[in-house]
Amino acid sequence: MSGVRAVRISIESACEKQVQEVGLDGTETYLQPLSMSQNLARLAQRIDFSQGSGSEEEEAAGAEGDTQDWAGAGSSADQDDEEGLVKFQPSLWPWDSVRNNLRSALTEMCVLYDVLSIVRDKKFMTLDPVSQDALPPKQNPQTLQLISKKKSLAGAAQILLKGAERLTKSVTENQENKLQRDFNSELLRLRQHWKLRKVGDKILGDLSYRSAGSLFPHHGTFEVIKNTDIDLDKKIPEDYCPLDVQIPSDLEGSAYIKVSIQKQAPDIGDLGTVNLFKRPLPKSKPGSPHWQTKLEAAQNVLLCKEIFAQLSREAVQIKSQIPHIVVKNQIISQPFPSLQLSISLCHSSNDKKSQKSATEKQSPEDHLYVLEHNLHLLIREFHKQTLSSIMMPHPASAPFGHKRMRLSGPQAFDKNEINSLQSSEGLLEKIIKQAKHIFLRSRTAATIDSLASRIEDPQIQAHWSNINDVYESSVKVLITSQGYEQICKSIQLQLNIGVEQIRVVHRDGRVITLSHQEQELQDFLLSQFVMDLRVAVRLWFSFPVTSVKIFQKAMFYKIANGVIFVDHSKKFSGIKWKVETLFIKWNCLCLHLALIFSRNFDLEYLQINYKHKEAITSKDVHLAFETFHFI
Amino acid sequence: MGVESVSQMPVAEGKSVQQTVELLTRKLEILGAEKQGTFCVDCETYHTAASTLGSQGQAGKLMYVMHNSEYPLSCFALFENGPCLIADTNFDVLMVKLKGFFQSAKASKIETRGTRYQYCDFLVKVGTVTMGPSARGISVEVEYGPCVVASDCWSLLLEFLQSFLGSHTPGAPAVFGNRHDSVYGPADTMVQYMELFNKIRKQQQVPVAGIR
Repeated sequence: MSGVRAVRISIESACEKQVQEVGLDGTETYLQPLSMSQNLARLAQRIDFSQGSGSEEEEAAGAEGDTQDWAGAGSSADQDDEEGLVKFQPSLWPWDSVRNNLRSALTEMCVLYDVLSIVRDKKFMTLDPVSQDALPPKQNPQTLQLISKKKSLAGAAQILLKGAERLTKSVTENQENKLQRDFNSELLRLRQHWKLRKVGDKILGDLSYRSAGSLFPHHGTFEVIKNTDIDLDKKIPEDYCPLDVQIPSDLEGSAYIKVSIQKQAPDIGDLGTVNLFKRPLPKSKPGSPHWQTKLEAAQNVLLCKEIFAQLSREAVQIKSQIPHIVVKNQIISQPFPSLQLSISLCHSSNDKKSQKSATEKQSPEDHLYVLEHNLHLLIREFHKQTLSSIMMPHPASAPFGHKRMRLSGPQAFDKNEINSLQSSEGLLEKIIKQAKHIFLRSRTAATIDSLASRIEDPQIQAHWSNINDVYESSVKVLITSQGYEQICKSIQLQLNIGVEQIRVVHRDGRVITLSHQEQELQDFLLSQFVMDLRVAVRLWFSFPVTSVKIFQKAMFYKIANGVIFVDHSKKFSGIKWKVETLFIKWNCLCLHLALIFSRNFDLEYLQINYKHKEAITSKDVHLAFETFHFI
Repeated sequence: MGVESVSQMPVAEGKSVQQTVELLTRKLEILGAEKQGTFCVDCETYHTAASTLGSQGQAGKLMYVMHNSEYPLSCFALFENGPCLIADTNFDVLMVKLKGFFQSAKASKIETRGTRYQYCDFLVKVGTVTMGPSARGISVEVEYGPCVVASDCWSLLLEFLQSFLGSHTPGAPAVFGNRHDSVYGPADTMVQYMELFNKIRKQQQVPVAGIR
């Protein structure tokens, strides 16, 4: 403050004038600031008459600022009213809204004043208090709590009931829609198992094996229909299905191929009258719907028809020594002279009529299930062959046919190799070969079993091999004597049972081929029995001899332990046996049997003779008999 | 598949081709061979077209297209000293398409036809070589089935040939000399036949000239 020169401070107000426009030469035109009255008018416009007492104070403060204007406004307002017409011109006069609001407030106040003055007189209007319900006694808060709880619970219950109602509505809707929607889901399930296609407005399916390689000309189409015969009012049955399939009429029912072998040929008149027996329908899986079983049965019928058609075509075309007979639904052929193989297609429909007639059932004992199964396998094999990559050309430009046949040109195959490529056997031939083999095998087994049961000594053992071919089986036959199995091992026969003959391989290397005749095998086995005896006897009864003395009817052989006395027995000489009996005087007796012809060996005969011997000689001979029998 | 030896049997003095063939077949039947059908080997000649020759004017190469009934689904195409192609029978159709490059020589088809005889492991084929309507010679082919290596069984073949051909036994074929220890194939047989046909073709030209 002392000595410092005073500084001139210029003050400028912050609010500059607003720029209205900027001229082209840079000069600015300023807006004139609002005058006091203009400002007031602006503020008055902003008054909100609907607010509370706070705004009234503002209003009052604003109004006191310029009484002159207000008075002028009030007079002009009266003038307007006297005119009677209120023209809405908000932009011209800012005090209009203020005036209107004040006028309405005045009106209200006048009315209130009038009413109050009338009520004060009590002549024409009285004031009466409004009747109110008696307030609940405030001394009982529990009742109040109870009532409040009840109310709140009722509210909650209302909400829950609303929700439950909505749920039940949706569930009932679902039930109703279920019938419509289920058809589609069933259709989806059907589509997962079978091929379907839509033709126009019909849904058709294919149950033939064409896509798997079959060349059978049957169309195999089935139709899918909607099951509409359902009464919504009645209870829906448990096995109800909204979908139904309609299979072609010739594939209805069930079918199977019956393969049987009969020993005696029936009369010609009986041909064609194959007694079918209704095989019980194969049990379907418990969860599978009824259309699945229906379609599977129809497909099986189609496959059986195809098999039978192929077999009958081959039976007619292929030339064989004994021609095959094809009658109605049966193919008869003779694999062996006294044997008859009949293959028939048994197709039983589901009609009630046929069910009645099929009560007299044919015994299914002679039906060979194995061959039926093999037929199915063979036809599937044939199907696969047509689709296999061996047949399909690789690359795509190569010609059709077996892959190796295409190579036979460039690799210069000769006729043998080409023939080996082409499979010349048809279905019928294969099945006949299999049937022959099965028959031969069963008969061989029966022969061996009958021999084993008939002949107690020596014993025959048969070890059948588990791993067999369709056309070949093998069995190892051992002929042994009881107690001497380890020693007498030389009779071991390997029988290879083929399609038409049996090949026997002996342990010592000989190979003998037997035909299909039963007797031949029996004779051969019997001959082997005798060989066993001969070997056994030889082993046990060879003693070293030191000196020999020959007499007229007997010979004396001196051995280490004593003397062997040989007597020529005439009873056994001849075509069957030549027997030399030896007996030692001291401890034991032994027998030497020399076998000359071994054809019809008969043990019983020998035993009888030795029994006779037993009766007339001493106990030494008895011992001999036992010894012999022991072998 | 075995080892085959192709040779020519000269026509006997004073006899026709047919009679000589009959002699041979009778000999074989006495030996114990059994007849097993017929066979046919034929050969067509093509030469490379003039348009494909170079400016040096090389001689056109000769290509032989042959068929053998022993390999019914095959067709053989071979050059003189060159490779032998074994193809499918569609090759004949292909040759028609290749007319621009290969032209068939005139009157070139030569073939041999006859009977097959099987004698244990040996297969003997005696055939008459014909060119057009005239018979030009006799071809004898002997195959030994079990062996596939030429050098191993040539001596056996020779012995067998001697037994029924007698003095007309041929020497070892040139094909055997090339590859001693390799496997014998049908291509080698066709090469032998081609050489035989060429020889017969050249042979006949002499008597024709002689007649004039």
